[in-house]
Amino acid sequence: MVYNPGIFQKRKIALEGLDLEVPRGSIFGFLGQNGAGKTTAIKTLVGLQYATSGRAWVLGADIRERGAREKVGFMPENPYFYEYLTAAETLDFYGQLSGMPRENRRKRAAELIELFGLGHARDVPMRQFSKGMRQRLGLAQAMLHEPPVVILDEPMSGLDPLGRRDIRNAILGLRDKGCTVFFSSHILGDVSDICDRVCVIHLGKKISEGPLHSLLSSRVLEVELAASGAPAEGIPEAAALARRAWHDGALYHLLVDSEEAAQKAKAILEAKGAIIRLLMPHVESLEEYFVRVTGEAPKVPERPAHGGSE
Amino acid sequence: MSVLIIALNTFREAVRDKILYVLTLFALLLILVSRGVGWVSYGGELKITTDMGLLAIWLFGAFVAIFIGTGMIYKEIDKRTLYTILSKPIDRWQFVLGKYAGLLLTIYVNLALLSLILFGYLWLMGAPIGIAILQAVALTFCEMMVVTAIAIFFSSASTPVLSAIFTTTLFAMGQLTKWMVDLGAIVRNASPWVGKVMYAFYLLMPNLHNFNVRQEAVNAAGTAGALAIPASQMLNAMVYGAAYTAALLLAAMLLFRRRNF
Repeated sequence: MVYNPGIFQKRKIALEGLDLEVPRGSIFGFLGQNGAGKTTAIKTLVGLQYATSGRAWVLGADIRERGAREKVGFMPENPYFYEYLTAAETLDFYGQLSGMPRENRRKRAAELIELFGLGHARDVPMRQFSKGMRQRLGLAQAMLHEPPVVILDEPMSGLDPLGRRDIRNAILGLRDKGCTVFFSSHILGDVSDICDRVCVIHLGKKISEGPLHSLLSSRVLEVELAASGAPAEGIPEAAALARRAWHDGALYHLLVDSEEAAQKAKAILEAKGAIIRLLMPHVESLEEYFVRVTGEAPKVPERPAHGGSE
Repeated sequence: MSVLIIALNTFREAVRDKILYVLTLFALLLILVSRGVGWVSYGGELKITTDMGLLAIWLFGAFVAIFIGTGMIYKEIDKRTLYTILSKPIDRWQFVLGKYAGLLLTIYVNLALLSLILFGYLWLMGAPIGIAILQAVALTFCEMMVVTAIAIFFSSASTPVLSAIFTTTLFAMGQLTKWMVDLGAIVRNASPWVGKVMYAFYLLMPNLHNFNVRQEAVNAAGTAGALAIPASQMLNAMVYGAAYTAALLLAAMLLFRRRNF
């Protein structure tokens, strides 16, 4: 995917050789730094941008065809709506565009307004909506016609913890109903909580893809031990094995580099009369994985602003 | 169907925007004030009121078409309301046509309202509502169809400021096209090449002068059953307006079809 930022400016490659397959009924996390090409890829999938080469299908329908968009519900990043329409009118408008019969769209709109806790704002014009409320309505309009595929661009950005929880629950609810959810996010905690599969892109290229558990290293990075009954000055023999040792109230903590060292430290602590309260190995988190795979790649260069894309 | 949904939504948005009421009030004021101007003129109270009333309706239509129309599509891109609409199963041409039809409907409803007020006002003043005035109003409606298409054409490809400049320039030049061809005929003897260029320009520019029969309507207003212009000339103007509008909308749809957002 190449875009031309201006007549006298150099053409930029926004996406290159992005090859993805999203399994039906899964939640697919699409990760990348700012400017990696996530929004460009999503806009291409929903018909807002045209790829200079390559093809994509949604449930067998070519994305260049109008039929593909019948199967997709889309929420852009920071969605905006017509200021003078109320929430109910906004959903009714999108329902009409999706070809829903009147009765059906009214019923669905009422359901979704309740689901997203917007009942009090049903007849409030959109210009009075907060960012969080707009975000919820954005997801509601994407789910309105019960599409088998939902594509969300940064659905949790800028939301408070409760708002993020609601969106996360809605995404899980969609999967439970057999819907495929494809979403981009910066909030890696949310991605690792709900995604079945992730893809990381960097500078427009895919650098890894797969089920989350297969991507994250199962190697133990460090082990944390906590014991009660240790003397106030600590236990130097055990502390010598640790990267860090400290007291936290009644507990004596040690952070060691390997499971083998943890077993040795545990034996020493128990020999000195301490009681082990915690022994927790830390494996790689999605955030550590993300930093590892994108950190090896070169930094993202400054890119000129381009129609609200990242 | 999608065109109608977008058009009705555009209309609903426009009528809830206060700016439209301000403009309508301004036009209404101009119609009502015209009588005051009529009093100070010698023996032409009705003519002045008719003339100024028709002018107010025309100015209002042009103002709304240019200042709302030129920002209409750009605003959708800038505010990103377009993203959720174009990702629905609709074609892009339906969006452009829907926005155009919605704005035109807004203008027409307001023009109809102002026209009815003018007719009522003239009736109260004891003037007959002749067919000539109806012709002038109908051709103003026709002219707004073209001006709105010009505004939407530029709006689908450019920023509101540039679109407003281009549309206003074209609107102003469109009023002068007849002079252009007359001037071309005069200079043709001195330089045939300049004459040809001016004629080509005349063909390309929207000939909005075609729709201006306000003076003729004012002159014919006193005579019952008198026409401002012959019916055939009016039909020609309407067909020209429809063809020019269709060409502009087609170009706007083509420009919009391959744009990346």
